[in-house]
Amino acid sequence: MVNIERNLCGIRLENPFLLASGILDENGYTMKKVMEDGAAGVVTKSISKEEKTGYKTPVVVELEGAMINAIGLSNPGIDAFGEEMKLAIKCGKPVIGSIFGSLPDDFRAVAIKMEEFGASAIELNLSCPHVVGVGLEVGSDPVLVRAIIREVKGSVKIPVFAKLSPNLSNPGEIANAALDSDGFTLINTVRAMAIDPHARRPVLSNAYGGLSGPAIKYIGLRMVHEIYRETGRPIMGVGGISSALDAVEYMMAGSAAVQVGTAVGMHGRKIFKELTLQLTEFMKEEGIASLDEIVGIAVKK
Amino acid sequence: MIRARINNVRHETPSVNTLTFTWDHAVQPGQFAMLWMPGYGEIPMSFSSTGKEKAFTVKNYGLTSSKVLELVDGDYIYFRGPYGRGYTERKGRSLIIGGGSGMASLRPLINDDSYGIVSAKTRSELLFRHMFHEASLMVATDDGSEGVKGFPVDILKDMDISPFKNIYICGPEMMIFSIVKYLADKRPEAEASLERSMKCGIGVCDSCSVSGFQLCRDGPVFSVGEIANMKEYGHEKLSFSGRRVPVT
Repeated sequence: MVNIERNLCGIRLENPFLLASGILDENGYTMKKVMEDGAAGVVTKSISKEEKTGYKTPVVVELEGAMINAIGLSNPGIDAFGEEMKLAIKCGKPVIGSIFGSLPDDFRAVAIKMEEFGASAIELNLSCPHVVGVGLEVGSDPVLVRAIIREVKGSVKIPVFAKLSPNLSNPGEIANAALDSDGFTLINTVRAMAIDPHARRPVLSNAYGGLSGPAIKYIGLRMVHEIYRETGRPIMGVGGISSALDAVEYMMAGSAAVQVGTAVGMHGRKIFKELTLQLTEFMKEEGIASLDEIVGIAVKK
Repeated sequence: MIRARINNVRHETPSVNTLTFTWDHAVQPGQFAMLWMPGYGEIPMSFSSTGKEKAFTVKNYGLTSSKVLELVDGDYIYFRGPYGRGYTERKGRSLIIGGGSGMASLRPLINDDSYGIVSAKTRSELLFRHMFHEASLMVATDDGSEGVKGFPVDILKDMDISPFKNIYICGPEMMIFSIVKYLADKRPEAEASLERSMKCGIGVCDSCSVSGFQLCRDGPVFSVGEIANMKEYGHEKLSFSGRRVPVT
């Protein structure tokens, strides 16, 4: 028998596969369904203090082996999101609340409500690459990152994860500034754009968006490896995972658990059950009894 | 993004045009595309013709669609798709129930053995009524300017539906919802194409989800039996920003 359960800062996961933030996690019924269909848990859409409309369409570009999106952090605001949380947590599996803002106060207010609504952990979106004044713009300032994490950690009891960007030129510095968190989520999408050659203009209404899918896997692996080697902290690896082997590579680079996003769009919600089956098969073949045996194994200590 | 040149623009009603174009690609009736008007947004649009010559039938209801209605013969359209699960096509007599521009997705299903219940707010907005034989057509209008003053379900309740091998439905949510309630235990295999605010079209953004199902990927066509089990349908939906609001 192989054991695919994970313990993530005290959160029990029945398998290592969580739904990544921004994918099928706006509606509570959907989050519940994704967990019923095999995800160990979900990370919600990023939620702010106030309602935010987001960008006009087109908000996605579908590519071979990749996707670019700029939804624009649309969300109903934390108060209205309580209803969706109530529907989602009925499933009984962990729901991690992703939050964003501009200032430490915004993050604190939203984090407190997420905890009240029953979130099992908080994920700080310090890395959305295409919205002014939040996300990466906040997450590339070490002073602000330190202040936000201190503020949130001081206000909630549940674990706090900092989701960092692969677009950072100083990932080590930001990771160090984020050391008061319980762990990291790595990576967010990579800033990108698409142009339509016939229409002679950017496809996304916002022009710039975030690249995701298999195309970014190797960027994610590198960053997980780098931050795990630097900090040794628990990491949720995310970026281009669409097979169990992708997840294994992320775990070998230091991920305690992984998140799946774009692949859910490419293959449907059923992918979670397939990933679990594939992983179990791989572990049997390789004689791995528990995933603890491989987490960080590819990182020289 | 696919680009195609418009062969022909036909005015169907005062607010609806059909654009035909040649695109050699298999499309199932009920499937849709994301139609892009560069600079003016992208909207989901079902194919109103699925042969070698394809068509979109577009109603003016917002910025993007109003710009689509300005297009003329020879202009280009841009779209991605086809997406979603379409209608199940079975041989035999069919009953086609369409409300407003909902008739667009049903049009490829109309043949010599089809009966229609065509409805609209008012007479001038009745779409594709002439595709049915006069004797096989029933009409309902909200204002009573033609046919029955009321809704398609009112006509349906007075009908013997046993001769129909297939029942296909498309239209506004409350119209479909009333029919689903009526047909749920009588004809659960009947099919309806649903509509919700849609952003991505490829099963990632969650905007068009109903009770956990993504219309863009699992639908937009569902059986009446499936829809009857969707608690959100006919009751609540999410706004563009994700706020839960009642369906009216």
